[in-house]
Amino acid sequence: MKVSAAALVAGIGIGALALLPALAPPYYASLMIPFFAYAIALLGFNLLFGYGGLLSFGHAMFLGFGAYGAAVMSGVLGVRHFEAVLVVVTLAAIVAALPIGFFCVRYVGIFFGMLTLAFGMLFHSFLFKFYHLTGGDSGMRVPRMKLVGLEFAPYNKIELLAGPFYYYCLALLVIAGLVMWRIVHSPFGLHLQAIRDNAQKAEYLGVHVRSMRLAAFVISAGFGAVGGVILGFRIGLADPELVYWTHSGHLVFMAVLGGFSNFFGPIVGALAFTLLQDQLQSLTQYWRFIMGAILAVLVIGFPNGIAGIVTDLRDQSARKNVP
Amino acid sequence: MTALIETRHVSKAYGTFRALEDVSIGVHEHEVLSIVGPNGAGKTTLVNLLTGLTVPSAGEVFFMGRSIAGIGPTELADRGVARTFQLIQIFPKLTVGETIATAVISRQRKRWRMLSRLANDDAIESRVRAVAQAFGLADRLAARSETLSQGEKKLIDVASALALEPQVILLDEPTSGVSTADKHRIMRTLIAAARQAGVKAILLVEHDMDLVAAYSDRVIALAEGRVLANLPPTAFFADPTLIETVVGKRRTR
Amino acid sequence: MSAFANILLGGVFHAAVLFLVAAGLQLVFGVQKIVNLACGSFYALGAYFGITFIGYATAFGLSPWLLLPGLLLAGLLLGFIGPPIERLLRPVYGRDESFQLLLTFALVLMFQDVIRFIWGSNPRSLDSTYLIYGKLGTGDFSVPVYNLLVIAAAIAAAGSLGAFLQRTNYGRLLRATAENRAMAEALGVDVRRIYSVVFTVGAMLGTVAGALIVPTAAASLDMAIEFVIEAFAVVVIGGLGSMRGALAGALIVGMIRAFSIVLYPELEVLATYAIVIGVLLLRPAGLFGKQPA
Repeated sequence: MKVSAAALVAGIGIGALALLPALAPPYYASLMIPFFAYAIALLGFNLLFGYGGLLSFGHAMFLGFGAYGAAVMSGVLGVRHFEAVLVVVTLAAIVAALPIGFFCVRYVGIFFGMLTLAFGMLFHSFLFKFYHLTGGDSGMRVPRMKLVGLEFAPYNKIELLAGPFYYYCLALLVIAGLVMWRIVHSPFGLHLQAIRDNAQKAEYLGVHVRSMRLAAFVISAGFGAVGGVILGFRIGLADPELVYWTHSGHLVFMAVLGGFSNFFGPIVGALAFTLLQDQLQSLTQYWRFIMGAILAVLVIGFPNGIAGIVTDLRDQSARKNVP
Repeated sequence: MTALIETRHVSKAYGTFRALEDVSIGVHEHEVLSIVGPNGAGKTTLVNLLTGLTVPSAGEVFFMGRSIAGIGPTELADRGVARTFQLIQIFPKLTVGETIATAVISRQRKRWRMLSRLANDDAIESRVRAVAQAFGLADRLAARSETLSQGEKKLIDVASALALEPQVILLDEPTSGVSTADKHRIMRTLIAAARQAGVKAILLVEHDMDLVAAYSDRVIALAEGRVLANLPPTAFFADPTLIETVVGKRRTR
Repeated sequence: MSAFANILLGGVFHAAVLFLVAAGLQLVFGVQKIVNLACGSFYALGAYFGITFIGYATAFGLSPWLLLPGLLLAGLLLGFIGPPIERLLRPVYGRDESFQLLLTFALVLMFQDVIRFIWGSNPRSLDSTYLIYGKLGTGDFSVPVYNLLVIAAAIAAAGSLGAFLQRTNYGRLLRATAENRAMAEALGVDVRRIYSVVFTVGAMLGTVAGALIVPTAAASLDMAIEFVIEAFAVVVIGGLGSMRGALAGALIVGMIRAFSIVLYPELEVLATYAIVIGVLLLRPAGLFGKQPA
């Protein structure tokens, strides 16, 4: 993808997102906060999946880590600065992901998927059972925090979410996107893709397969935790359901929906999913069935997701233009 | 002349089956060494030992004086030995340029650079172009590997290995599947490109005796796990019993 | 001592049910090279359907003595969702593993809501009709005969599956297709039919296992995914693709679960996940497996 095309797409996207609070009711603006959280988490997820070839069914555990980390830091320890919480929780997630990743990246395919699923559910059980620490079912409160040192006292929750926090999250997404763009276009990123395409040949070309997979895993954990902190702030609560396997499933769904072979795919997927889920949930309580059906259709018919459909259309029109 | 890679009294047994028995050979600078022998003679085992994939049951394997027993492919590449396989190996979704760059990144030890743009790295870019040029792939740099022809895939497979600038390269039946008309041309291209890349010795595993005769400086014949002969090609091909053991009654095409 | 025996039998009972599902998984993987994440869903569906079936049958005058055969029948009947599901999976046979995982995962999501739609979100259970078969033993040590019957059924299933695969012509055909699909096709084997049959048998093993367990445990929505992890633990311990592995793995997992329930109930579910992780670290190929990751 040429830089200019990508920059164009990104520019339009950011522009549209920046205008949204002015054009749409506050409900939609605050609905977009989870989108930002998922988009950032998915950038990390797709480093592992789209670029690294490892499909994790436990990525939500890092979302949970982020939310609970925020709850502990600001709720229990009284830290009021969002930035401080972000940095500390992200670093903590990276450290925590090291041993988990160390075990998981020794395997690929099904085994990796199931191991990550098992670790995710292990974390869920832990959150549930040790309710003295974690509040069990009821979760842990995530209080309001200061954004860039500002209290925003006169804003109520919805106004805060639809206003300052919205732009704060947009900024976070832009930063996260820039960082991830750099990573995937770096020498490290190329080695990771080589591992994805042919791990054995990569080894013979001097690629350190296991440690690079671990690095990708750990980085994805960090991005996931950032998403989790945002989610925790938005909901005001960190609860075990964030870590349940279906939540990891939603992340996978978003990546596939948007198109995991494309850098922007997962972000598009997060947007599509957030809007889709919002609409479906108001229609029926059986929206998960519809989601599963859409996933099945995607896998069978449109494995490259929305981004794939768009690039196919673009290629077709390009071919028509060639004399 | 000291050997670049050598095995000293190496044996390898799999259970009760003795694949190799007391093999001592050396690969020296500036030579093309061919390893020949019938199937089951132990060629693959010997090659795996020479490239650090397996550990000998007895004896030692050295590269540049250091033991390489069981070090594995990645460490092997880092130390300066490259290997290609009979079955073509590519990165389907990566372009020709990216494939070569993968090796160059390893060679230039830039693998952990996460925040710098690959496209902006001139040191890498110029190396990639040079290697592509040596293999006649300069105009295919942006093509995805899966779209290449069989011949081109073979070239990129070897080109990427040579981009590691190894001291020694092991080519496992590099012309298998190539038509007779093209065989010699491909071999000449490979050897010339290898020399240009600074390779000091080439190990060739081959069944095609024409190629062995034309390009080897020395021929090692294995049979039933033992070294049958370690001779220059003229001496080797002068001995009919030797040829028969290695090839069978029929002389090759 | 009797407490120990109780735990032991509890473990074997759990193992028997686990074995049935794991055997289905191994069969499908062995022949079709697909790991069916929806095996837990089949299990859960079997459980719910078993309860409903017995409910209706009893209302129509089914004798309580026919509980076990009734449940078996329910499980077998439900297993016929196998063929349509297999047809759905066909497009991804040749493709990358990720797609297979994703598709069976989509099935899991769909089945969750199917269950919720038909049976609601609350757990369901049978009353204690199964006690009509009586209990064996006295005092502290007693085991419901039902449990023993299920264990016997599982052993019978293991035996017949083994005999079927090793000694019958069709079984040999299956093993040949598992080894080398292309060659089997070249020899005139109708591979598509075999895949359909194998998948259905695998599905039935799952649904029957689910149906058989409902007298002793409630059917709940969580069942599906918890069971996938347990079944996976069995397959990991025993080794992917091996029937003997399914047996050994089921026994081990069943025992560990039984002991942890008694010794440290809080960790019951954690124990399963910990087992999976532990085994993958210590012996990735499993006891009888051929393929590490």
